[in-house]
Amino acid sequence: MANHQQNPETTVHRHEEIQRKLALKEERKHHNVSFVMMILLTIVAFFAIWSDKISDSFAVLFILTLAVVQVFFQLYVWMHLSHKGHDFPIWGMASGILVAAITVASLMGLIWTS
Amino acid sequence: MNAGERLTDANFPAHPEKATLEGKNKFLGFWLFLGGETVLFATLFGTYLGLRNMHLDGPSGEELFSLPLVFLATMLLLTSSLTSVYAVLSLKQNKVRSLQGWFLVTLLLGLGFLGLEIYEFVHYVHEGHTFTSSAFGSAFYSLVGFHGAHVLFGVLWITTLLARNWNRGITLSNAPKYYLFALYWHFVDVVWVFIFTVVYLMGKVG
Amino acid sequence: MATHESHKKRSGLMDWLTTVDHKKIGILYLLAGGFFFLIGGLEAILMRIQLMEPDSKIFTGELYNQLLTMHGTTMIFLAAMPIIFGFMNAIVPLQLGARDVAFPYVNAVGFWLFFFGGLLLNLSWFLGGAPEAGWTAYAPLSTVAEDTGVDFYVLGLQIAGAGTLAGGINFLVTIINMRAPGMTFMRMPLFTWASFVTSGLILFAFPALTVGFFLLMFERVFDANFFNPDMGGNILIWEHIFWIFGHPEVYILILPAFGIISEVVSTFSNKRLFGYSAMVFATVLIGFLGFMVWVHHMFTVGLGPVANSIFAVATMAIAIPTGVKIFNWIFTMWGGQIRFSTAMLFAVGFIPTFVMGGVTGVMLSVPAADYQYHDSYFVVAHFHYVIVGGLILGLFSGLYYWYPRMFNRVLNETLGKWNFWLFFIGFHLTFFPQHWLGLMGMPRRVYTYMSGQELDGANFVSTIGAILMGAGTIVLLINIVISASSKYATTKDPWDGRTLEWAMPVPTPEYNFAQTPLVRGLDALYVEKTAGNGEMTPAEPVGEIHMPNGSILPFILSLGMFIAGFGFIYANWIVAGAGLGLVLITMFLRSVIDDHGYHIHKEEVEADIKGGRA
Repeated sequence: MANHQQNPETTVHRHEEIQRKLALKEERKHHNVSFVMMILLTIVAFFAIWSDKISDSFAVLFILTLAVVQVFFQLYVWMHLSHKGHDFPIWGMASGILVAAITVASLMGLIWTS
Repeated sequence: MNAGERLTDANFPAHPEKATLEGKNKFLGFWLFLGGETVLFATLFGTYLGLRNMHLDGPSGEELFSLPLVFLATMLLLTSSLTSVYAVLSLKQNKVRSLQGWFLVTLLLGLGFLGLEIYEFVHYVHEGHTFTSSAFGSAFYSLVGFHGAHVLFGVLWITTLLARNWNRGITLSNAPKYYLFALYWHFVDVVWVFIFTVVYLMGKVG
Repeated sequence: MATHESHKKRSGLMDWLTTVDHKKIGILYLLAGGFFFLIGGLEAILMRIQLMEPDSKIFTGELYNQLLTMHGTTMIFLAAMPIIFGFMNAIVPLQLGARDVAFPYVNAVGFWLFFFGGLLLNLSWFLGGAPEAGWTAYAPLSTVAEDTGVDFYVLGLQIAGAGTLAGGINFLVTIINMRAPGMTFMRMPLFTWASFVTSGLILFAFPALTVGFFLLMFERVFDANFFNPDMGGNILIWEHIFWIFGHPEVYILILPAFGIISEVVSTFSNKRLFGYSAMVFATVLIGFLGFMVWVHHMFTVGLGPVANSIFAVATMAIAIPTGVKIFNWIFTMWGGQIRFSTAMLFAVGFIPTFVMGGVTGVMLSVPAADYQYHDSYFVVAHFHYVIVGGLILGLFSGLYYWYPRMFNRVLNETLGKWNFWLFFIGFHLTFFPQHWLGLMGMPRRVYTYMSGQELDGANFVSTIGAILMGAGTIVLLINIVISASSKYATTKDPWDGRTLEWAMPVPTPEYNFAQTPLVRGLDALYVEKTAGNGEMTPAEPVGEIHMPNGSILPFILSLGMFIAGFGFIYANWIVAGAGLGLVLITMFLRSVIDDHGYHIHKEEVEADIKGGRA
């Protein structure tokens, strides 16, 4: 394949190469930041329950919010939903989450009626 | 170009996982599959949430769950999610040895998680919390067990994938496979985030 | 090309067992689904014979319960859905201008899983009795039943359902990724749109059913306690899960029929479909609302006025997009040059019949009224009007319409008209009186009734109708047999079609399009016809065509599931382990054996074009 010749195309190619390297470096940084964030969110959630200082009903709401935030980090940063070309995956996950939400709500709320 | 041919730095595409129509199809199909899996786990979560207080004479979640163990399991899985995203970064740079290394770490962390889960289940059974002891027991083992089965499948998957492609470099045909595995592994971690929150932490506050 | 040698041409039975060609898989789906349709129909006629006269003793008690359970289960899961998948396989890639589906191998896996699942379920008749807890298998009826019938139900449908889910994902990806150049979403034929939305519903509804079946299986095989109130369980969990799947399932069935009717009405009126974008919007909206209404199957459970009211309003809302569709079909015919072929007759018969089913649906959506109708023959009449009067008439229409493309023969029109009138009159005779039977208090799922309650006459008429429907189906079988004669050979475009599936010669070449077509508008073929071309403009030069290799692995994988199913039914862990082991080995083989397919050379394609074969 590609015989390297000295022509303008190679320069363009090299330029793109550098761009890509920079982008990947940036990406690695994002991954590390979200890892730290997720560790922190997890620790906060465990601590909220562990310490027993927060009222139970608030603690439940609080840790559920933390879980949702953490999942967004997973989906958007680690699973790259924020990148281009992910329109249909986003549609698919959003529809799945919608159906999931009504399923959980009904199984929680609509089985122990009097 | 042949899809099984080892890619070189010169012809390496920006998105090797989506460079062929086959890769594009797999990428999209797998994402949609994960959308369906979301509903699958939601049904299990709903069942668990409906039945979690029905422990009858057996121990309740509050009495059973040990948070340090769950925290350790969470850290293992979270870290393995990070190592698999590092493997994807290596994939994008055509660094096959580093990809293999990161996926091997992922594999080991996954095995560690499975070990903890087995230890935990054995412990619970000794405490009188079994699959058939109450509706809570059935719902708990179904939800957490389904997740565990996903981890086990992931472990088998990455083992086969690494072994088959050990000496083949990165090709247009195996790049989507590596990428899909990483997506799967992140998804397994996503489910775990809800399990540790909804099952274990919420179990502690009743 | 290095990969070329790996391609073996298979023939005869081996070709059908290993095929990954969407056209052949479509035919397999149609044949298997048609076979189960006959079995389900026979079960229905046996039930109607039992109900023909009061105090009848032909099929009573347990046997009647088995017949009603298997009739419903077979018709929904093993007849209607596979026939829909048959048409989707045979037609959607052609309408898109694609050479195949996105995952040909997975497509074959999907078919064989369905086939072996259906086989497993039906073997229950010979192995200790069929399931008898109704197609809905409500707990505790399904959990306390002691024979193995319900186990066959759970395992058979679990396996078939896995195949359906695979098929759903496959069609979503095919439609998103494999459209020909110029085939934008808003140029896709309505049948393809309906297949798209139906596949989406499958993707999000079937996982709930998968879990439901797992729970029921755990309950029966491993003594779990999800639905056992003594151990803290709750039977409503099953009802919710079943209907969270079950209601979208209704739209999974009916939307493709809407798609077929749209194609047929437009083609045989020689007019563009009226309100195309409204039709697309209505299809998507019905799919969306389909997930928000399942509690209307559970109004009498007693979930409270708030829950019942919310779901009642959501249910009524579905009448709006459905009404949009009805009007659009009528306006398409308005002022068109209508040709009453058999396909068109079925489509025209569909419209008022489906409206009647829709009207009773709105009646049932009022919770207070539903307390009266619930579990009576009124409900039976309603859902047969939408499923038989809607879906089955649509499938018949599609069969007569696409038969030439799928089998290279036309069906006889005279016999076709006999088929239509016998079936159509029989259908209304069967189910119209059941509205009154229900309002007079006859409960569904009960094997007999006493004389002197003014139920005799309507039941007798209903049975006569069922026999007429059976006669109509037999006429279709005769029609299919005689169409094998070369007298019925067809040209490539027998109906003056408007969409891409009529653009290639018969028989359809294995690669569908020698050159991927360029789509220049809605009704792509019709656009070229009016431009004076008569055929599609190619979007690419003649070149090598990449094709997937056939494989026996999908068959073996599904066989493994079938064996494992027996293992779970009889709690024999060696058999179950062996079956699952076979599945894992097949998956392992699939992932370690490289299979990049093969190429058809440019010269072969050119020869085909010259010979009029492509």
